[in-house]
Amino acid sequence: MAAHSQTNGPPATPTPSHPTQKSMTKAERRELQEKQRAAKLAQKQQPQNADSPNKQKAKPKSDAAPRRSTGAAEKQSSAADGSKSHSKDTPGTAMDNDAGTSISRSLRIFSHFVLTKHGHGVKGDIHPCIIRLALQFSEFRICGANARCIATLIAFKTVIQDYTTPPNNTLSRHLMTHLSPQISHLVSARPMSVTMGNAIRQLKLEISGSDIDMPEQDAKDLLCQKIDDYIRDRIIIADEVIQDLACKKIKDGDVILTYARSSIVEKVLLSAYKQGKRFSVIVVDSRPLLEGKALLQALTSTPPVSWTLSSASLLPPPPPIPCTYALLPALPSLITEATTVILGAHSLHSNGAVFSRAGTALVAMMAKQHSVPVLVCCETYKFSETVMLDGFGKNELAPSHLFPAPAQAPNLETLNPLYDLTPPSSITAVVTEVGLIPPSSISSIPMALGRMNL
Amino acid sequence: MDICTTYRHKLRDEQVNSAPHLRSTTLIATLEISPPLAAILALSELCATSDAGTMFELVKALNEGANSLRRNSSNPISLNAGCELFIAFVTLFPHDSVPSAVRADPHCEFEAIIEFAEKIIPHRQALTYRTKIAELSVDFIKDDSVILTHSYSRVVMESLLLAHRRSKRISVFVTEARPRGLGLKTAEALTAAGIPCTVILDSAVAYAMEKVDFVLVGSEAVVESGGLINAIGSLNIAIIAKAANKPFYALAESYKFHRLFPLSQYDLPSHNPGILSFPSPVETDRAAEKASSSASSESRSAPGAPLSSSITQEQIAQNNPDVDYTRPDLISLVFSDVGSLTPSGVSQYLVGMFH
Repeated sequence: MAAHSQTNGPPATPTPSHPTQKSMTKAERRELQEKQRAAKLAQKQQPQNADSPNKQKAKPKSDAAPRRSTGAAEKQSSAADGSKSHSKDTPGTAMDNDAGTSISRSLRIFSHFVLTKHGHGVKGDIHPCIIRLALQFSEFRICGANARCIATLIAFKTVIQDYTTPPNNTLSRHLMTHLSPQISHLVSARPMSVTMGNAIRQLKLEISGSDIDMPEQDAKDLLCQKIDDYIRDRIIIADEVIQDLACKKIKDGDVILTYARSSIVEKVLLSAYKQGKRFSVIVVDSRPLLEGKALLQALTSTPPVSWTLSSASLLPPPPPIPCTYALLPALPSLITEATTVILGAHSLHSNGAVFSRAGTALVAMMAKQHSVPVLVCCETYKFSETVMLDGFGKNELAPSHLFPAPAQAPNLETLNPLYDLTPPSSITAVVTEVGLIPPSSISSIPMALGRMNL
Repeated sequence: MDICTTYRHKLRDEQVNSAPHLRSTTLIATLEISPPLAAILALSELCATSDAGTMFELVKALNEGANSLRRNSSNPISLNAGCELFIAFVTLFPHDSVPSAVRADPHCEFEAIIEFAEKIIPHRQALTYRTKIAELSVDFIKDDSVILTHSYSRVVMESLLLAHRRSKRISVFVTEARPRGLGLKTAEALTAAGIPCTVILDSAVAYAMEKVDFVLVGSEAVVESGGLINAIGSLNIAIIAKAANKPFYALAESYKFHRLFPLSQYDLPSHNPGILSFPSPVETDRAAEKASSSASSESRSAPGAPLSSSITQEQIAQNNPDVDYTRPDLISLVFSDVGSLTPSGVSQYLVGMFH
């Protein structure tokens, strides 16, 4: 589409005051194009105040193309992809989220990450549960791989229960087509996490395997039961097993360093504390999400409310966990104090690399330099069969309307990639529910679970 | 039944009952049954004489037996490996393969388990494990090789003797392996077999590394990370071999593969805070007084004689570790009866075996 607009843009007839196009240099021609585009833009801007996504996408494309000589090919491909709003990893063009200004600029890097503005309308028949969930995702109220997956599955249970098979159709075939727009709606709010992807793939497998002859309500109940089983087996119980295994690695007197907030690391630390181990924790945090604060809150609010002084043992509750809170730049000073580093993960890849919150790679690499063992706690359902070599190929940028930069300037663009990749060489061990595994053997996990695919 | 006496019985028993038709040189290497196999034997007897009615009770009884064995043993690591292997085997035993008539009676089922175990884990055929490993490693031993080994290991002995029998000219450096000094045992055995062998100081390994073609060591246990637990000194040799670019091969029978995952040297089960601890100040003052008084008396009698210190070899041995953990990135290959594995292959095998 960009290519098309380029050819349409500049008029072929030269005016007497301007030389012919051929005699102009490339730079001059580009300037001319730019001027003409700006004029067109000004014309377009006035009648259209209500933005629709397609038009907005078209504008930055035409503006950006002449400015970036190297980006032309990329623009074309992203334009082509942008028109397909239903594909799962939709790379769209990046836009400045400033609603007021008319100048939209493109990012020089990371432009292939999705940075959609939510609220571009609901297409098709989306269940209210899903709409609410999508809003929660885009506002970052539900954050974290496990939380998002569980929330998605619970929402799907409601969708399935409210679904009725249209006549002349079977549940096993039609339910999937019914769910697809729901899934795309969620993806448009925030890109799909690996956990959601694995869970949905499993759900689709279950749906396609459901018995045609079963009465509809029974089939739906069975699917909901399967969803419950998945949550219970792959997340809740897996977490308990991981807690047990990781607690064995925590000894009295240890100084545990952790980064941001991982639900499983929080559980591990609290359960080690309940077992009576005396250790201290360093929580390393970073902007813009500052998730470590919530972890700090959870760790320092011990003794937890659930502790009761029974008459049998009038011992006072144990002292709370001593915690230190620091931001990421303070890491080199603190790493020498740490005995173990425990981290969480968003997903685990078959080359042993860990995809996790941005900043995790720094913590792991620094720990390795100082010979501090690094444990990554990760359930097996987060395993992805892909190979990841760096954090550029697939990432997500935090929307800047939620996390504004401290300084606003018209030529300043902030990039907040949410994830980064930790290479397998920096990791000592991965704690999963099948045991402690060195990162080089991650690819043997599917074999361990006795399944060919996860 | 007291499992510890059974265990010791098995250890001794096998010494007496080893096959008489073996030649004297191989007899030395195979005379003692290794601790993990003795543990498996003891546990399978426990299984036979147990009055457990269900699998759960049986596994519980086995776990208790394993715990009492561990408590009474000075070096529980390899023992642990054997116990865990047997218990995992019993737990994962496919009950479908047991005929249904037998399944009704728990005792018959247990016997079926033991029978199956005797086929899968041929405890009377420790010899075959070592022979298989020796066969694998002999291909890596070229003619005119200079090999460095550490302390005494039955598997390494078997491999070296096999290579010698296959008419390969090898010469061996063996470390003294203080404080137990088992390297001397290796040297004597090899020299008796006609292999040129020299004992080197533990501190002289770096000096001698340039002369060596590759390093061959045995193991107490091979752990989940692909690393090695072996007599103290193995880590030294591994680091020096890596720095000098010499291959480091470890020989381990498959029952020594352990699901342990040490994160550091101090994460081993054999570690206690007493190891490498500093004595309290009172003791050092007294020691200093003793040393100075003995020094003054010594200097009067023999000016060139060294200080007689009040620190004895036993004290040193007590305060120092017995085993150390060699990281997987320092190991080139692990030779086992299941094949030659890379360190990452070890964990893949373990994951496959225990699930």
